Amino acid sequence: MSLTLPRALPRTYRPYLLIAPAVAGAAYLLVYPLVRNIVISFQRYGMGELIRGDAKFVGFENYQKILGDGEFWTVVWRTLWWTTLNTALIMVIATLVALMIQRLRKVMRILVMSGLVLAWASPVIATTTVFQWLFASRYGVVNWVLVHLGFESYENYSWFANGPATFAILVVLIVWQSVPFAAITIHSALITVPTELYESARLDGASGSRMFRSITLPILRPIFGLVLSLEIIWTFTCFAQIWAISKGGPDGSTTTLPVYAYQIAQSLHRYDLAGAASTVTVLILVVMLIAYARQMFKEEADL
Amino acid sequence: MTTTAPTTTLPGTARAASAAPAATAREPRRLLRRLPLNLAALLTFVLSVFPVYWMVTTAFKPTQDIQADTPLFFPTSFTLDHFSKAIAADGFWMFWRNSLFLTFSSVLMALVVALGAAFAVARLRWHGRRGFYLLVFMAQVAPWGSLLIPMYIIARDTDMLDKLPMLTLIYFMINLPFTIVTLRSFLVGIPVELEEAAQVDGCTRAGAFRRITFPLLAPGLLSTSLFGTITAWNEFAYANMLIIKSQDDRSLPVWLSSFSNVFGTDWGATMAASTLFALPVLILFLVLQGRVAAGMTGGAVKG
Amino acid sequence: MPTAPSASSALPRTFRLVAGCAVLGLTLALSACGGSSDEPSTDGPQKVTMWMMKDSVTKEYLDRFKKDFAATHKNVTLDVQIQEWDGIGEKVTAALASNDAPDVIEVGNTQVAQYAASGGVKDLSDKKADLKGDDWLPGLAEPGNIDGKQFGIPWYAANRVVIYNKDHFEAAGIKAPPKTREEWITITEKLNKGKNQGIYLPGQTWYTLAGFIWDEGGDLAVKDGKNYKGALDTPEALKGMEFYKQLQALGKGPKDSDEAKPNLADVVSKGDVSQYIAVPGNVKLVEEANPALKGKFGFFPVPGKTADKPGASFTGGSDLIIPEASKHQDAAYEVIKAFTGEKWQTDMAKTMSYVPNKTSFAKALDGDAGGAAMAAAAANGRATPNSPEWAAVEATNPIKGYMTAVLTGKDMAAEAKKASDNITKTLTK
Repeated sequence: MSLTLPRALPRTYRPYLLIAPAVAGAAYLLVYPLVRNIVISFQRYGMGELIRGDAKFVGFENYQKILGDGEFWTVVWRTLWWTTLNTALIMVIATLVALMIQRLRKVMRILVMSGLVLAWASPVIATTTVFQWLFASRYGVVNWVLVHLGFESYENYSWFANGPATFAILVVLIVWQSVPFAAITIHSALITVPTELYESARLDGASGSRMFRSITLPILRPIFGLVLSLEIIWTFTCFAQIWAISKGGPDGSTTTLPVYAYQIAQSLHRYDLAGAASTVTVLILVVMLIAYARQMFKEEADL
Repeated sequence: MTTTAPTTTLPGTARAASAAPAATAREPRRLLRRLPLNLAALLTFVLSVFPVYWMVTTAFKPTQDIQADTPLFFPTSFTLDHFSKAIAADGFWMFWRNSLFLTFSSVLMALVVALGAAFAVARLRWHGRRGFYLLVFMAQVAPWGSLLIPMYIIARDTDMLDKLPMLTLIYFMINLPFTIVTLRSFLVGIPVELEEAAQVDGCTRAGAFRRITFPLLAPGLLSTSLFGTITAWNEFAYANMLIIKSQDDRSLPVWLSSFSNVFGTDWGATMAASTLFALPVLILFLVLQGRVAAGMTGGAVKG
Repeated sequence: MPTAPSASSALPRTFRLVAGCAVLGLTLALSACGGSSDEPSTDGPQKVTMWMMKDSVTKEYLDRFKKDFAATHKNVTLDVQIQEWDGIGEKVTAALASNDAPDVIEVGNTQVAQYAASGGVKDLSDKKADLKGDDWLPGLAEPGNIDGKQFGIPWYAANRVVIYNKDHFEAAGIKAPPKTREEWITITEKLNKGKNQGIYLPGQTWYTLAGFIWDEGGDLAVKDGKNYKGALDTPEALKGMEFYKQLQALGKGPKDSDEAKPNLADVVSKGDVSQYIAVPGNVKLVEEANPALKGKFGFFPVPGKTADKPGASFTGGSDLIIPEASKHQDAAYEVIKAFTGEKWQTDMAKTMSYVPNKTSFAKALDGDAGGAAMAAAAANGRATPNSPEWAAVEATNPIKGYMTAVLTGKDMAAEAKKASDNITKTLTK
């Protein structure tokens, strides 16, 4: 796989040569596994087949089984709710933080930005472990604070034994991990708004909210689109945090689609069902993002 | 709790505290009006920093302080016991080195390959360009969590199990789509006219690219590589699945997960391990903080 | 932004440079760690890799074994890698399906059947005579045997007993171990004072619950026609759970965790635990962690409902297997032969208070307090439902979730129904 570009090569080949490594990598490490996954989803593929490699095709049996399982649909709805709740919180909080940073004086701005960058940069595994420690039933800070605020029932309270509580902790964790990126990005976009625009609007007697609607929002729109779509992708496909904290429990109350597929594959060794579940997952995600992709192509004359 | 923050020893806070009195003397009324805003800023700072702060302080606290009935928010005594326990754990430096290798090699590969592809999409006209970019965009939602088994099969069939380079390739692929999308938007944002003007001024084409485009692209390269670094540094599922027998090739996240198993509720040692794990990325981020923010703007604004 | 056509006419040299780097990077990456694991298996000593579960044996025992094995097998070097129970199913599967698996793997007796059935494990039927396997413990030999072929070689078994701190008992004025559940609750209440925990019982030790359920005449799952179905919601099983809840409250065991998190031996080694339930050998680990506790522990079988019979208890244990994908199967067999032979079985029984893999070795436990308690418990030992899918139930373990739900105040009957349905679903998959 030589990537050097001979001078004599017709110029029309150059773009294809440039994308060749990306395409080759994707073919081996993304398309091939995806296809393999789809093939598996049409086979009977368990631990024995993985070891012996003699899988038989069974048609749509796995899909029928998955789609006919009430639990799967519960998980789908939970995943959509999880994604919506997280992204909504992230976007709202991040926008507020960005607007706040814009109004801050230098010292405070640096302070807040440093804090955000610190939270953003902390590796997921480390912060996830910290959250477990914060919410630990014994010696956990959160329980201590709650007890001292007068909620005596939180003495040694086991957060991770309660479904909604675990779900809430995971939401807090995801929002905490995601807001810095979103806020910094939105803030960066905010400062590109020429101040003259605001000044002239103020001279024209526009109110603050009016200026936000007619100047800030339109300029922020593309970046909102980008951040929103990234956050949707990240929360929808989020796995490590959930697995580390709750493994989808207690009692399945934090099982989202990626966790569900992992459980079926790794714990039950039904790679076929997991393949079907993940294929459906991808389809859902693609449908969710197609609207954004279309918008993007429409807006950018360049594409 | 927010009001106590300035007494912490964090560098940013110290600056804030020293700057405050001067401002108070000069314009007390104005400051009062800005109080809610500054309080909100402080709250944001405390909330984003607290988990990281708690991780680091727990790691330094003697065990009896960690298990105190009243949590010590400002540690009075320090110990390095937890760190020595973490470092003394089998093979710590080896896993550290493995993770460093994986992160560095995969990020470098992704940058180089993505730069070529991004250039082709942003600056060249060719058939299939839109389609290629759409696929790259969609590849961002690849369900990596569900490709474990197919990837395992592929790795096994190409004799790449138990080998770090396989993980390098996978991390490279996980990072590639995002890197291409971001770098493309950077390239689009850099006017070609700049390069042309430089050429008019006597630069060669390559020289123009190197002197004009490349510096403008630097923030983009920086922010994408930071993203890649975080992803690769954190990745757990593949590292856990594809490194089976050669235990010396395990990466830090895998080690950290077994660490919390081994040390159970020894939160001091676990937090020390987490701190050591987070440290390289934190340092990288803090050093590059300003550039990262700038980088995100450039890329993101163009969407 | 329209791009000027001229932009595409020539590529900057940078790109060629960069592309070159890509190739370089790739090659570097591919070569850097290449030949790390393989070594030729022809000449020189063969390296046998063994996966052993955490806390199966003490470090001391393992070191002794390794030294002796190295002395008697010059051509084999043994590398023991300790594995965690958490997520072990995935790891063993990945190993069995690989091209170069560990050569010997310890697998739990409730899990060995599914691996044996998968085709990834070497059939060791022809070694049975060499190993004199006629009086192997059925509880270990049967799960490792599929269609008359012996895949798993019995290693050790253990029943769980109550381990108590003699000093705490004396201080509380308790003369003799309890014989019935009522007595047990009474003395535990007495012990659960001040800094001490009457009993440290994590909320998710499901095999302890299984014992209580068996005592009441219930089971975890029962055969219904040709399939198994979950039985946690039967009145007997609910009574068992009721008792578990009562007992669990007499200590500080976490309601949402099992004995692995936090590690049981670590917790007990702090010294404030008056009683806990484990295999007798666990005491050795506690003493290793905190030598000050040496000799402080006594044993008694889990009390039954009446004084005439001890409580039912789960017989756990392990088999050893050789993966088909092992590259050193003959050397691997040498390791298994040594571990399962008389010398190291006897040593293990003495060191770890395990039940040896053959009844003829059992005399090694004579005079051992833990062994005596275990022998008494073993008389009423039970196993998990004999379905090949049972391992899948353990992997997702709805019983644990059920226990936590009940202990944290949820409605017992409703939760039991939910967990039972879940078990039924897994077992009929």
